[in-house]
Amino acid sequence: MTSAQHNPTRVAVPRIAVPAWAWALAMLALFALYLVAQDNGAVLASAGDVAHEFFHDARHSLGMPCH
Amino acid sequence: MVSDLAAPRQTAPRFASLLGRFAIAGLVAGAASGLWSMVVTERAIAPALALEEARSAGSHEHSAELFGRGTQLLGGFLGTVIAAVVFSVVVAAVYAGLRHRLPGRSDVSRVAVLTAIGFAVFALLPAITIPANPPAVGDPDTIDARTAIYIAVLGAGVVTALLVGALVGTLQARGVHPSAVAAVGVLVTLALVVAMVLLVPDSPDAIAADVPAAVVWDFRLASLGQLAVLWTTLGLTAGYLVDRLARRA
Repeated sequence: MTSAQHNPTRVAVPRIAVPAWAWALAMLALFALYLVAQDNGAVLASAGDVAHEFFHDARHSLGMPCH
Repeated sequence: MVSDLAAPRQTAPRFASLLGRFAIAGLVAGAASGLWSMVVTERAIAPALALEEARSAGSHEHSAELFGRGTQLLGGFLGTVIAAVVFSVVVAAVYAGLRHRLPGRSDVSRVAVLTAIGFAVFALLPAITIPANPPAVGDPDTIDARTAIYIAVLGAGVVTALLVGALVGTLQARGVHPSAVAAVGVLVTLALVVAMVLLVPDSPDAIAADVPAAVVWDFRLASLGQLAVLWTTLGLTAGYLVDRLARRA
């Protein structure tokens, strides 16, 4: 079989215009998750301990390394 | 045009609308996997916490707990929801950027492909290289090393997905037969994953002798199940919502 036989089934899908803020938002979301899940007092200091204990189950169960 | 009869009309939704659909799917996925964490994972964590308590009772160490178990259960639920929404926002941006290159004729199948890759990279790969551990296992002194291994595994997984994706795209563009493309894609993926399993250092933590293997095993299964529920719900819900959006646009 040649590619010519497959190409008609591949419909050209138009591109979505991804604004720059989309990537900024994704980075911000990941940083927020880091604060919730991974921060061991590195950024949030003592508030990090509170977040650590409160979200403790989520850290363990989502497979993130924990103390 | 003949192709209009064969394939559904293909349109490009606006990114903001797409993001909204993914965020809703993230909330649904977070609620589903959060429920799993309260019902299933909690039962796997309980024996590990009992072990921790028995240890501190034995050493006469007074450990002040910041939160009760009820509050921590709520935190487990909320933390899972936050993680799911964060994943959904990131997946939305990646999906928007890659939609025209992902395989599949509808958004349902394209979203399914991307979220399956997400599950493989962010759940399955860590589970076989640096698996989750219940409380009572971690050694605080090795947290930096374990975090570095974890992040490195996720990074290697993302690179693997991009490499294999680029390879498959190139082969397809050259007209290679689809079954040959699939075989090459599977073999290269397997080779890279095997290399990672062999090369990535094991967790530096030894599992203490007083922790039964069954406690660790049950917890790892529950954890993987929770992530499976998260990614499956995210993929199915977002696929359904984005498909409806694209047909309406």
